[in-house]
Amino acid sequence: MKMKKVRIVALREDRKRILEHLQDSALIQVRKPDRKGKGFSRVDMTSQMQVFERNVTLTEQALKILGEYAKEKKSLLSAFAGRRAVDPDEIGVIASKAGSVIEVSKRIVAANKQIADNAAERVRINTTLAQMTLWQKLDIPLNTGDTKSTAVFVGTLPAAYDERSLSERLAAENPKLEFELEIQHSENNMTCVVLFAPISQKTMAEDALRSLGFARPMSPTHLVPKEKVRRLNNRLGELEKSTQAAIGEIESLADRREDIKYTQDYFRIRADKYNVINELEHTRHVFVINGYIPEEDCPKLTKLCDRIATCYVEYEDAGDDAPVKLKNNRFARPAQGILTMYAAPSHADIDPTPLLAFFFYFFFGMMFSDAGYGLLMVIAIGIVLKVFKPDEKMRNNLKLFQYCGVSTFFWGLIFGSIFGDAPAAMYNLFTGSKLTMAQLLPWPTLDPQKDALLLMVVSIAFGLVHILVGMGCKFYICFRQKKYAEAFFDTGLWMLMLVGFAVLGVGMATTQTVLYIGAGIAIACAVGLVLTQGRDKKGFGKVIGGLASLYDVTSYISDLLSYSRLLALGLTTGVMAQVFNMLASMFGTGVVGIIFLVLIMLVGHAINIGLNALGSYVHTMRLQYVEMFSKFYEGGGKEFEPFSLQSKYIKIQEDK
Amino acid sequence: MNGIFFALIGASIATALAGFGSAKGVGGAAQASMGVLSEDSSMFGKMLVLTLLPGTQGLYGFIVGFLILVNCGVLGGAIPTLGQGLAYLGASLAIGIGGMVSGFAQGRAAVSGIAMSAKDDKNFSKAMVSVTLVEIYALLAFIVSLLVVITVPALKI
Repeated sequence: MKMKKVRIVALREDRKRILEHLQDSALIQVRKPDRKGKGFSRVDMTSQMQVFERNVTLTEQALKILGEYAKEKKSLLSAFAGRRAVDPDEIGVIASKAGSVIEVSKRIVAANKQIADNAAERVRINTTLAQMTLWQKLDIPLNTGDTKSTAVFVGTLPAAYDERSLSERLAAENPKLEFELEIQHSENNMTCVVLFAPISQKTMAEDALRSLGFARPMSPTHLVPKEKVRRLNNRLGELEKSTQAAIGEIESLADRREDIKYTQDYFRIRADKYNVINELEHTRHVFVINGYIPEEDCPKLTKLCDRIATCYVEYEDAGDDAPVKLKNNRFARPAQGILTMYAAPSHADIDPTPLLAFFFYFFFGMMFSDAGYGLLMVIAIGIVLKVFKPDEKMRNNLKLFQYCGVSTFFWGLIFGSIFGDAPAAMYNLFTGSKLTMAQLLPWPTLDPQKDALLLMVVSIAFGLVHILVGMGCKFYICFRQKKYAEAFFDTGLWMLMLVGFAVLGVGMATTQTVLYIGAGIAIACAVGLVLTQGRDKKGFGKVIGGLASLYDVTSYISDLLSYSRLLALGLTTGVMAQVFNMLASMFGTGVVGIIFLVLIMLVGHAINIGLNALGSYVHTMRLQYVEMFSKFYEGGGKEFEPFSLQSKYIKIQEDK
Repeated sequence: MNGIFFALIGASIATALAGFGSAKGVGGAAQASMGVLSEDSSMFGKMLVLTLLPGTQGLYGFIVGFLILVNCGVLGGAIPTLGQGLAYLGASLAIGIGGMVSGFAQGRAAVSGIAMSAKDDKNFSKAMVSVTLVEIYALLAFIVSLLVVITVPALKI
């Protein structure tokens, strides 16, 4: 779609109103001004923006915490659900509640922090408790100091001792030392000991103990260990209570979840708006918005601006760096996602979406090729679309598969495959006859298992058409850009040559005359290619270049062979379904047999749909990207991203 | 002597070797994708696609194996002659070996594709297409096996 550059000049006092309307209408993409105009200045809104963004982050955190403690009930299918529609009046309500919702979010975050702090403290307490249990029997505090006459040592030694062995060790260290000791606890590498010595021998005792590796306890306390343990346990109880209270608070706030979501969107939208203000040029009284707009929306914008404020709107033609907006009819629109996944078209490109859409549906159907599966896809997606009302993007994706489903249905009828050979298998199971699908169905079918060769030829023929269409686009693009030599020699000759090969192929199957015609065309084109492909080179290079270009024929052949996957994947779906039908009918027609029949059919066909729908999707995409797009499509454009209400949870309905 | 023995070896080779290739390919890709998913679980859909890409070889092998069974009297059809049995065996080598080796190769490509799309979502379609480039060789092998298997019952050997 053709883009225009737009420039809106308006009074500063109308800025808020104009921006709001622009954001609602999503008509323009704001663009940075080319260069700083004289006399214009920027208004810095960064600080306000940061406030809004902080609020967005805060609410995101709050939602995440809520999700942890109070799970949201979600069905598997709700991923399809669209954002809730909100009418503009409700925005006012959301805005007025924003302050209180932010408070709620803060409370949630604070409660979560409390829980984390409590958990950290609990770890610390547990470490201390583990040490304290070693001192359980001690009836004096761990940091007991010396008395007038006695020096007291409380601490640990890094080895196992009993009272006798320790006394012996100490005596060996310093025979003069007098002491009294009590072992509190002893294990492999540690002994907790209390030692009393006369105050006059304090340094001697200290030296002796130190040489054994004595250390005072890590967490000295003036409390008797038992008391300390009791207090710590109390504290643990308190922490647990506080944690429970915090969880309770979070859970009690869970019903504000929706409010928080809407408020988050509210701030997100405002942050976007302020971000745009940053990009605007201001003078004292007026401001200027620069942007891109699709040509057909220009009258709408003019009308909108006239209605809401005094302003001046001017348009000019956009250059090549303008963003691209695709516009397609209902049939092709779902395939836009496939196109933009590859690349948005550049200005030199044509919009290939309609072609892409047609071939996508066509090839997908041919690979998936089962009437039953196709019907199932159409119906299931129809229901999802009706019940969940998904957002635009999701809706397009679903629509894509719905159209693919239609094509799958018809290909299934052609191949005589309805849940594989389920009708025939069931009929045979209950009547004992040996019918095939071809005999059962009233219309002539093309069985990929029996007529594989024919179907392969058909697949490659479709591939030829596909490639020729792609080259046709190239031809058209070159022609439009008046590059006639490229159009006729580089593309046209090859197209003709491929047609020549096709005719030659038909000739091999039918009459000599057709064969000669085909060969004639191919040879003529080859001569043409040799004569023209070296045209940019000089002298002898002309001939070499021309001859070398003929080598490209290998790439065309491999492209064409690539379409044999149409046959292969079509066959895969059919055979897999047939396998499951066969397994299902192996258990006879008794009650147990019927139960197994139903179970195996359900599971088997579900697996088959999953595997082969994925395969068909991936390989269809590949045929488009590699075989067709490589012929003409450049891509590399930027998508049009209008200044709009970017929200995650709510969708503001436009005024009707 | 009839050819059922060789036909069944053929069915096994087609199914087992191609399945081996796919199992290794999908296994490697699954490990890589789980690494990505542990960081960002929202990528599951894309990772699944890339992980499953090397899975088709096993499917092709299975189909060839199944069609041999259907044709050679196990699940229908007539007992093959010695010549026909050897023909089945020969046919199964294409998808067996072709499927196995391309399964390895595609698995490695899928791992790189996963790493690439983990860095940037936008790379996904490019990664996917690049990984399917390997597939063509499994496909060609499959078609050769297939064409032989469906014509063997009519062969007088």
